[in-house]
Amino acid sequence: MARDTEVLVLGGGSTGCGIARDLAMRGLEVTLVERGNLTEGTTGRMHGLLHSGGRYAVSDRASARECIEENRVLREIAGHCVEETGGLFVKRPEDSDDYFRKKLEGCRDCDIPARVLSGREAREVEPYLAKDVERAIEVPDGAVDPFRLCVANAVDAERHGARIETHAEVIDLLREGDDVYGVEVRHDSGPGKRTHRAPGTTEEITADYVVNATGAWAGQIGAMADLEIEVRPSKGVMTIMNVRQVDTVVNRCRPKGDADIVVPHETTAILGTTDEEVEDPDDYPEEQWEVDQMIDTLAELVPILEEARTIRSFWGVRPLYEPPGTGTQDPTDITRDFFLLDHDERDGVAGIASIVGGKFTTYRAMAEEIADHVCAELGVDARCRTADEALPGSENLADLENAMDDFGLRSPIARRSKQRLGSRSREVLETDEPNPVICACEGVTRAEMQDAIEQSGSDLNAVRIRTRASMGNCQGGFCTQEMAHELHPEYDEPTVRDALDELYQERWKGQRHALWGEQLSQAMLSYALHATTLNRDSDPAGRDGDLEYGAFDAGPDAGPDADADATDRTPLDRRADGGEDR
Amino acid sequence: MSDADRPIDERGIDAGDETELERAGDVETAGPDDDFDPVQVFPESEDMDLRPGADDCYKCSTCDTSCPVAEVDDEFPGPKFQGPEQWRLKRQEDHDIDETVMKCSNCMRCDGACPSDVPLSQMHNTARGEYVQKGMSKLSVEYWRNRTLANYRRLAPLAAMFPRTSNFVMGLGPVRWLGEKLFGITSEREFPEFATETFRAWWAKRGGAETSRQRAKEARAERGEDGAEKRIAYFHGCYANYNTPEVAKALVRVYEHFGYEVMVPEQRCSGTPMFANGMLEDARRAAETNVDELATAIEEGADVVASCSSCSMSLRQEYPELFDLEGVDDVAANTWDAVEYLQVHEDLTGELEGASVEGVAGMEDFAYHAPCHARNQGLAGQTREVLAPIDGVEVHDVGDSCSGISGTYGWKEEHYDTSMKIGEEMFEHMEAADAEAGLTECPTCSMQMGHGTGYEITHTLEVLEAALVGAGSDGGGARPDR
Ligand SMILES: Cc1cc2nc3c(=O)[nH]c(=O)nc-3n(C[C@H](O)[C@H](O)[C@H](O)COP(=O)(O)OP(=O)(O)OC[C@H]3O[C@@H](n4cnc5c(N)ncnc54)[C@H](O)[C@@H]3O)c2cc1C
Ligand code: SF4
Ligand code: SF4
Repeated sequence: MARDTEVLVLGGGSTGCGIARDLAMRGLEVTLVERGNLTEGTTGRMHGLLHSGGRYAVSDRASARECIEENRVLREIAGHCVEETGGLFVKRPEDSDDYFRKKLEGCRDCDIPARVLSGREAREVEPYLAKDVERAIEVPDGAVDPFRLCVANAVDAERHGARIETHAEVIDLLREGDDVYGVEVRHDSGPGKRTHRAPGTTEEITADYVVNATGAWAGQIGAMADLEIEVRPSKGVMTIMNVRQVDTVVNRCRPKGDADIVVPHETTAILGTTDEEVEDPDDYPEEQWEVDQMIDTLAELVPILEEARTIRSFWGVRPLYEPPGTGTQDPTDITRDFFLLDHDERDGVAGIASIVGGKFTTYRAMAEEIADHVCAELGVDARCRTADEALPGSENLADLENAMDDFGLRSPIARRSKQRLGSRSREVLETDEPNPVICACEGVTRAEMQDAIEQSGSDLNAVRIRTRASMGNCQGGFCTQEMAHELHPEYDEPTVRDALDELYQERWKGQRHALWGEQLSQAMLSYALHATTLNRDSDPAGRDGDLEYGAFDAGPDAGPDADADATDRTPLDRRADGGEDR
Repeated sequence: MSDADRPIDERGIDAGDETELERAGDVETAGPDDDFDPVQVFPESEDMDLRPGADDCYKCSTCDTSCPVAEVDDEFPGPKFQGPEQWRLKRQEDHDIDETVMKCSNCMRCDGACPSDVPLSQMHNTARGEYVQKGMSKLSVEYWRNRTLANYRRLAPLAAMFPRTSNFVMGLGPVRWLGEKLFGITSEREFPEFATETFRAWWAKRGGAETSRQRAKEARAERGEDGAEKRIAYFHGCYANYNTPEVAKALVRVYEHFGYEVMVPEQRCSGTPMFANGMLEDARRAAETNVDELATAIEEGADVVASCSSCSMSLRQEYPELFDLEGVDDVAANTWDAVEYLQVHEDLTGELEGASVEGVAGMEDFAYHAPCHARNQGLAGQTREVLAPIDGVEVHDVGDSCSGISGTYGWKEEHYDTSMKIGEEMFEHMEAADAEAGLTECPTCSMQMGHGTGYEITHTLEVLEAALVGAGSDGGGARPDR
């Protein structure tokens, strides 16, 4: 039977996108389906640390070695997604000297370049470090933007012929006897780029081989074909600071524990994290005390965090996995290694493999191993090239530096735009059209927005993760509507409105756990502005169905009777004209 | 020694020596931490990390609506971008500052406007310093022109030695034309005149602190005050010394009238023009002297007063924001505007009740402009209030617009038009006011007021002198009848 595609990849996180790129570059026909946007799962909710391996240097040297190798590779192939920040393992007086020594030893054993700094030297690198930090180990940690990296993988896969379908949820695995041959997906708005309000459809996609790369959701997918996959989702909280208090990754040098790392991320710094097993990766409690506790603990390393403004908090779930029978109690003890589950071998069901566990930093190596497996299954002989070929945006970055072109933008805007776009800068930013700044917090111009819209359809959250627009300190208060304007006239008014609403909801969601101090002022201002200038607290035009304008303004001809009429109306009527709804 | 067991700060740890660890990087052993102020990242003042200051900004744009430059110049992105937004976009190694920072006149109105205490002018000053340090070519005419304007005090002593020649030469058309062509100093303006005798020369001739002590003592006796000494250290700044010594003399006489012994410590430029031109190193050197001298005076029991509103602003706000110097906070806390000090410490209103300047030429009807830097110190309404009880004086406030000159700003050819456009509102209000002369406390505002309207401009202290001591009293300072 002719299949729709050779390989079907489920899940658009770093793992799925990495696999799709790898296989597409090897010349295979690939389709990837993802239920939300790319990075919708754990990949979009991680810490942004490009591991040097230092964190695993004592407990898990195999992982540590793999990290430093991949860290080097990603600096080369994904330069525009990686910031070479360097990292410190800092030791406070109460932290063990013995562990410090073990950490240093471990780094050296794993070929992770490591150097000891005195407390003062560490504070020269990071002036806001606590004064009682005694010493530190410097390692080549980095910061990585998971959105950009994941999108670049998907874009490159597409360039090599892959089909990438977002907003396409797998609702069933197609199984016949002991053979899985495809999936059924539900397209939120039909296949192709997402357009709000387009009617949903379902589609059966058949494939020679299916790769289940749905991370924490892998168990749910497996269940659709009666396969048991023991993923143990474990949640972790992260808090985003308004500005970068540090420009280097700051780790606490102690065995393990919550709240032990600050990662500079683009214009912000991200605090993290915790580790707590949850039942359902889609439904778990998010609690304020988790945030508070983390800020308090990390303030021991960087005291100004106590006073600093946070702009939002978010939780992610790790797709932890351990082979049946291991029985580890504490999730922090579960290995961070990844597992390739060949269901043929394991369960006697052919045509599908699942991939669970692992880290973002090693996504490429994981993808390579899985692609090798898939090629072996399909009898294809093709070599992996993902370690040698740069991702779109990361080609010849030195040329960009040398050109020193500002594309007519103010210098900080040009600098940030180029940091985001990398080698695509010229292609995106060179324009004869006026190119105003749309998002002032992050310095995103119209040209960059339009480029992202071209890739994402009417989905403004997809535009957001590509550009960082609305991810700054106003959290969209000043730019969400401007972003929505950019969809017009290609998309009509109701579509634009839906897209705006969706982005808007997403932006508020993460702010719930940051509503005190300055961010509360910000939220109040945003709310007031949107209510008073856009009617967003209760906009009658946003309702479904036709509006009866006459109901709240009978027009100039109406006599005093019309007024009397109005006072007779029930509260419900009044709500219908937008007066008192909340 | 392996670096794992290097002494760390004062605390040594007793680590066994593992040969494994010998591959350590060779880092110098660092001594104990000295008291380290986290704001100051590097010894250079222009490398301060002000990103945390952006936390306070919630983007309301109030600062933008109060910026006089943004109002008339579409190319200027305004204080919100120039301050918190630009800082927030920085990584530690990013040093490119947008060149528009040089369009900011440092009027500091945005500081006062911000409802959320964002350290805007500190951000602008620091960014400007960084821009000049890293972005502006040291060979450019602009750099040297700005440096010359900023260091006006260095040139002033020369001019003061030959004031008549200087005034004559500076006034010559061709010289001004050359200034513009070679240096970008606008030929539209006339250079301020240099006085034939500087204030400090007059002060020395008059007998310096000794004379003042004597006069203060006599005044206290006459006022029936008990013996307690009252003492101020006068920060006259450059302009009152070289160009308008009559203002400085007025201050001396008024303070002595109230029984204060006036000290005139060694001093250098307050730094205002240097901040505006991004010459933070020059400003820092001057600040070192000033803080040192003034802190000593404070130790000797004096409070510091300044007759120029930009000088007091600088000592009170910009010094502690920009320079981590010993005694800087002390100086900031004990510095006052000269009129403000009297209003707080003396019964100025009572004393002026019934005083009169009637018959003193040019002292009747004033068009008063509150300088931005006075406004920022909360002194916008002070002058009208203080002068109200004096018979014969009418003060018409010309509104809250900026004069537009902002120190050296309006002297630059490229800013002249902007400067005059900003000033337009003030000129109009001055013309409309029923007045015959101008009144203000800022030397450069007074240049602009004179330039735009042709009025003679007086300093508030001169009016106080006329009312309390008698105008144009002898060079010795005291009224003949005292
Ligand atoms: C708190 C936290 C911090 C972390 N920090 C780091 C770090 O700093 N550095 C690092 O290297 N790693 C880090 N990790 C680990 C890393 O984020 C993950 O290992 C990695 O992102 C997993 O990627 P993935 O593609 O396997 O999974 P995911 O990104 O979760 O991708 C799975 C995708 O499948 C989709 N999906 C689910 N169900 C369906 C369905 N029915 N149909 C279609 N699609 C579906 C989901 O929407 C999702 O997009 C962190 C993890 C956590 C939880
Ligand atoms: S100091 Fe004055 S000119 Fe400069 S940004 Fe602020 S308000 Fe505008
Ligand atoms: S006035 Fe203050 S809070 Fe408002 S935008 Fe300007 S700097 Fe930000």
